[in-house]
This record gives sequence, structure tokens and C-alpha cells, in this order.
Amino acid sequence: MGCSASLPDRSSGRLGGLNPDNSGGNDAKNLRVKLVLLGDSGVGKSCIVLRFVRGQFDPTSKVTIGASFLSQTIALQDSTTVKYEIWDTAGQERYAALAPLYYRGAAVAVVVYDITSPESFAKAQYWVKELQKHGSPGIIMALVGNKADLQEKREVSVQDGAEYAEKNGMFFIETSAKTADNINQLFEEIAKRLPRPSLPDMNAS
Amino acid sequence: MPSNSDSSSSSSSSTSSGEYQTPKRNSTSIDQSLDAIENQLASISMFQPDSLLESEPEPEPVPELEVSKEELVNGSVNVIEELPAKNEEGESLKASSSRVWTNASEEVEEMEAPPSPSSSGYDGGRGSSATSGIEDANDDDNDGEIVEVRSHGDSVGASDSQAPWTPGKRHGDEDDASISWRKRKKHFFILSHSGKPIYSRYGDEHKLAGFSATLQAIISFVENGGDRVKLVKAGKHQVVFLVKGPIYLVCISCTEEPYESLKCQLELLYGQMILILTKSVNRCFEKNPKFDMTPLLGGTDVVFSSLIHSFSWNPATFLHAYTCLPLAYPTRQAAGAILQDVADSGVLFAILMCRHKVISLVGAQKAALHPDDMLLLSNFVVSSESFRTSESFSPICLPRYNPMAFLYAYVHYFDLDTYLILLTTSSDAFYHLKDCRIRIENVLLKSNVLAEVQKSLLDGGMHVEDLSIESGSRSGSVSPHSSQSGLATESAERLRDTFSGVGGPAGLWHFIYRSIYLDQYVTSEFSSPINSLRQQKRLYRAYQKVYTSMHEKGIGPHKTQFRRDENYVLLCWVTQDFELYAAFDPLADKALAIKVCNRVCQWVKDVENEIFLLGASPFSWRLLSL
Repeated sequence: MGCSASLPDRSSGRLGGLNPDNSGGNDAKNLRVKLVLLGDSGVGKSCIVLRFVRGQFDPTSKVTIGASFLSQTIALQDSTTVKYEIWDTAGQERYAALAPLYYRGAAVAVVVYDITSPESFAKAQYWVKELQKHGSPGIIMALVGNKADLQEKREVSVQDGAEYAEKNGMFFIETSAKTADNINQLFEEIAKRLPRPSLPDMNAS
Repeated sequence: MPSNSDSSSSSSSSTSSGEYQTPKRNSTSIDQSLDAIENQLASISMFQPDSLLESEPEPEPVPELEVSKEELVNGSVNVIEELPAKNEEGESLKASSSRVWTNASEEVEEMEAPPSPSSSGYDGGRGSSATSGIEDANDDDNDGEIVEVRSHGDSVGASDSQAPWTPGKRHGDEDDASISWRKRKKHFFILSHSGKPIYSRYGDEHKLAGFSATLQAIISFVENGGDRVKLVKAGKHQVVFLVKGPIYLVCISCTEEPYESLKCQLELLYGQMILILTKSVNRCFEKNPKFDMTPLLGGTDVVFSSLIHSFSWNPATFLHAYTCLPLAYPTRQAAGAILQDVADSGVLFAILMCRHKVISLVGAQKAALHPDDMLLLSNFVVSSESFRTSESFSPICLPRYNPMAFLYAYVHYFDLDTYLILLTTSSDAFYHLKDCRIRIENVLLKSNVLAEVQKSLLDGGMHVEDLSIESGSRSGSVSPHSSQSGLATESAERLRDTFSGVGGPAGLWHFIYRSIYLDQYVTSEFSSPINSLRQQKRLYRAYQKVYTSMHEKGIGPHKTQFRRDENYVLLCWVTQDFELYAAFDPLADKALAIKVCNRVCQWVKDVENEIFLLGASPFSWRLLSL
């Protein structure tokens, strides 16, 4: 937050932000979706992404700098594909002011907390509010309680998470990047909630 | 320090240590008799390397050489004589103040010191015995080595372990009450002007709040008197202060590095902080003087510790120049061409690097990149593991370019060692930069640059063994062994025999050549007998010291310097175009060493289009800053 003042203001007002050139990218069968992960540092955002994209889990913590960009395509049962373009943001405080750069124009925001850390749950709620204020209208939000394998250290109950998500119209799931539990489900559930282009091409032509 | 160069040269450091004194001048140990041939040396053109053969310098005064030999033989005796004095000094200081850095902890040193009482029985600190907890306390960078040394105090020289450096903060459990913490040889602190800790190399910052407050009190006490504290000497310890607005930086060191070097290291540490946060972090202190900066630097311990580690292995930290990976000229050209192409499309700087060496780099028109910024940037990228995982986009600030504003860095690793940094002023340029990277990657693959880079990593650069003493036998290539010509004359062979196959001709062990015009340097590869990390570090410290003395403002700049101590002969030669620092066997012959230095310069000239980045010259920062 401390360095927010020094950011050049050039990006504000440009809704484009870090958005891929979407023209022609989407049709009814092949969706391309910008997804951003937000949450406190150390909750496992990068681990979730790496588990999803590469099927890997690295227990040594590597602090994300700025934001990492990865993409992964999944196929749904109705034979559509969804290509996620994922911005894995740094949870460090100094990057908080940069978050709009990454969530602006995002169709999906995944807000992550650590079920063993009430502080990270509070931080998740901060991000939800921020997204409600400044995120794209109609953004799909998911609340994710990560590190579900650490049951014995749990400090945020499933109920607390689910209730908060429900109140804010979010999709809720608990995951473990370590055991891969619910990771794919998370992204599949998101895919189901994506608005499908309603065959505008037919009308146009 | 038992094997410190000063202790054996004509100047005696043991008598003066402990007094408040001005930084030592190295001039006393410059061989005065060199003056006669100095002029000759300076007048020798690099293009006429043989001229020395024709004008053989006067035979040197014999006594000088003999003294050196004698001291070499008696090295360990000297050390033993020195010790009692130091111990006394430690005791007396300790008595006067328990909070001051008193323990003249006879560091086992990161070097092969001759066996001495210090390594086995010295009872440092506050009267505690050498418990396991402090076994590694004297360590600067490498725990393994020291532990081994301490546990075999009788065979100090035996340890040559090359344990890799572990990144990140270590000994985080320590604080200023820990004996181990107090015995560490080199501390770095960043604190705020209200005394709040921001960074400490060792120990937990929060536990060091009291210690930080003490440092702050010292600084403000002197400032209140309208003065500024730069250096405090306490026994073997130097405490160096640097004030940067609301940020205070302090180094406490007993490594005997010159004040100028330590100050320059603090400057780099500050620059690294600016690279992460920009100078506008000062505003936080304007709003709230008691602002706690530690959360803002969360997760960056590893960046700072990696920089501090590089102070002992990367000559760029004191040369203020960068170094290139040796590559065939067309290979580097191919890389440069595609980078130029990208820079023309709105990228401020395009930098292709392999570890800490530059493959090629290009700046937009009129944009200039300072070598120190390059050092800090590459340290930031290499030390932050997350860049290796996937392509990233992050704000960074180049302190010498514009300390107030962020640039945006696109970072992508092509393989384990080779990475691309694209810098832009535009926060939404990611997709453009990603496209640029794809274009660059295609060209690099097509022109085989990445494979050549890996090959160069394996082959290394200039090996002193490949240096021929005769001119005309150079093949003009850096690639190894291609130049081990059979043309070496009898005399050259005899020379090699004299030094039993160790190092290059005339006992040349290593050299650094810095091109002033290019802001680039090249070093020879380390080879026998400079094999261990500890020996390499010791050599760099020696270079650093001699670099400082060559650039000392009061009496410098010098043109040549010839130093002989029990570890090396160091020969420095500074001209308008280049600086050469060469390390020889301590028994090396002076006239031959000078001759070899001429050969080295010619060799560098011969292969300059492989070891340097020529032509592009984006380093017009000097012109711009005028």
C-alpha cells in the first residue's frame, strides 16, 4: 500500500488493462476467460494454480512477485472448452495497490484464504468488498478455503466460509493444493457458471 | 586476521588496530621501487606487447623479494605474535562496555589460515566457551565450512568444502542477546529514522527493535550536533553508517574491508530496496514518522541476502560494470538484432541474460541503463524463485534511471539459466511484451542461441592456462583449449614447469579486466589453486581492497600498483581505457608478471568481440547525467 502513490496513473480509466485481445477469441464452443486469484500472502494461490495447470505441488514456498501468468484449457462434458488465462497475483501488501491492474476486466475472481488462518479469512473479505466496488460488473466470484488437508489446525469453519459466500453471491469450495482435493472441481464449477455467448453470430449474419 | 595482507607487508596493521583511525592507506605497501619501471609500463602500448621483451626492466632490488619470502615462511609465526595483543585489546574493551562490539573474535576466517591458537582455543565473546551454538558464528556465508574448521581446529587448511549457498534468511531465531549473533562477521541493518527495524541480515527484525533504537540513537546524537557519523571503529569492527532521508543503513563488519567498499555495499542495499518500493516510500514517513516498513518488504529477505552474498563473489558489486557471457560474435549479434527489433516497438529495455551475465541488451533511443541497476535487477530476478515458475509481470524501479517511478518488468525464463527481462513504462503492456517474447524465443531457437549459451556455460570463458607468453600464437578465440598451441616456446614451458602446472604463465592465477568505455568487465575462470569458494572470496576481497586503493581520492588515482603478500602478488594497471587487476603466485617474478599483464591485455583485445557486447552501447548514462 505504501507504494501506491508512486504508481503512474496511466492505467486508470483504461478498462482494457491487462486483458487479452478478445476479438474473435470466444465462440459458443470455445471460451476464453480471464481469471484472477486474490488473497493474503501464503494462503496457497500459486499452489492452487500450479496444481491445476501442471499437476504439481511444491511444498517450498516461493513468494510470488508482482503477478504470474499461466493458462490452462479444460474440456467440459458438453464438449465445450474453456481456456483460463490466469493471473496469479502476489499476496504481499506492497502489491495490493496493483491489484486493479490484474482484476480489471476479469470475468472470474477466485478469492483464497487459508482455513488455518482467521486473518487470511478477514483479508479475503476485504478482497470481496473491493471486487464488489471496483470489479467488472457481473464478475463471477469464488471463495476458496485452501489447505483443507490441515483439518487439525482448522480455525475457520466450513460454515463460516459457506455463509459468507452465500451472503455475497459467491460460489464456495474448500480445496487442498497439496492433496489435489477439489482443485479441478473448483475450475469445473466456475466453468459451469460462465455465461455462454447466446449465438450472437447467427443474428448478426 | 592471520593472513591479512597488511600483516606481512611493510605497513603494520596490528599495532594500529583498535585505534580510531582513518582508513588505512595501502600506499605504504606499494613497492616504491616500482616507480622506475612504472613509467615504462604505462607507456607500453597494448598493441606492442613485445616491447617489454626489448626493454627489460632493471633488476629489482633484491631485499624486497627476500623479505617477502622470509615473511612467507614465517607467516604462522607472525600470526602467533599478533594474537596476544588482539586478545588484550578485546578484553580491555569488553571491560569498558559490554554492549559494544568487543570480542575480537579471532575469526577462523573463510580462508586457509595457518594453524594458530585462534582457531582452537580462543574464548571469544563474553567468556563463554566454544559451544556448539557458536561453532558457525564466524561464518560469513557458508556454515558448512566453518563448522568443519572449528571442529578440526588443528587442520584449518583442510577444509575446502564447496557447500552451496543457501538463500534466504538464516539464523532468524537469533537476536542481539545471542552470542552467535554477536559473533557474526558482517551484519547489515536497515532501519527507519524513528529506530524501527526494517531489515537485518541475521536474526529476527522485531526482536532487534532495541538494537535498532541504539543505532538510531547514535546517528541522531551526532546529527543533533550538526554533524554526521560515517564510521566508528571498535577493535576489529567497523561500523559504517549511511543516511538516506528517513532510511538508515548500517553495516557492522570485522572483515577488514575498506570503508569505501562497505559504504558502497550499503548504497547497493539501499538501491535494492528502492528497486522494490521506489523512493516514494519516503512519503509514508512524512505522513507517519513511526511507520513500520517491514510489511512492505514482505518476502524479500531472499533478495537482500542474495545481494549481500554477491558482495563476496560478484566483482560487479565493486567494479560498477557488468559482464557478458562469452559467445561467438554472430551469436550475440543474432540475439541483439531481435532485441533491437523489440525495443523499437515500445519496449524501454530488452535484456537477455544467463545467470548474472549478459547475453545481449538493448535500450530504446536515449534510454540508458546503469550497471548498478543491472546488478540490482538481475539479483532481484535471479533470487526470486517465482520468476522461474512462469512468465511474470511485476512493477520494479531502477534507482539510477528514475528512483521515483515504477517500471513494469516482463520476466520469462527460457531454460534454467537463461532469462529475458523486458521493461516498459506502461502498466498494461503485458500482452504486447508476451508477444515480443514469443518472437524473440522463435529467433533464439532458430539461430541456435540458447544452445550456444548452454555450451558457453559449460566451456567457461578465459582460462589463464590458455594464455601464451609469446605473441602471435593466439587464435583469437575464447573457446577452451583451442588456443593451447604447441607454439609455446621453450622459455614458456620452463615457466610453466616452475609453477608446477598451476595457473597460467609466470604464476598468473587470475585476472579481472574492466573496459572503462564499455562499462564491462571480464574475469578469467577460476582454476587451481584458487579452487574453493573460500579462496575465491578471499581473492575478491583482495581485489576489492586494491581497487579501493587505486581509486582513493586523496592520493589517487594511481596508474600501477604492485603488491606482494603471503597470499598473492597483485598487479593493477589503470589507464584511460581499461583497468587490469591480476593475481599471481606470491613468488612470481615482477618483470615477468608485468610482461604477462601485457599479454593479458592483448589477449582481451584479441577476443573482445566474443567477451564483450560491442556496438550497441546503450550505456550512455554518463553522457545523459552530464
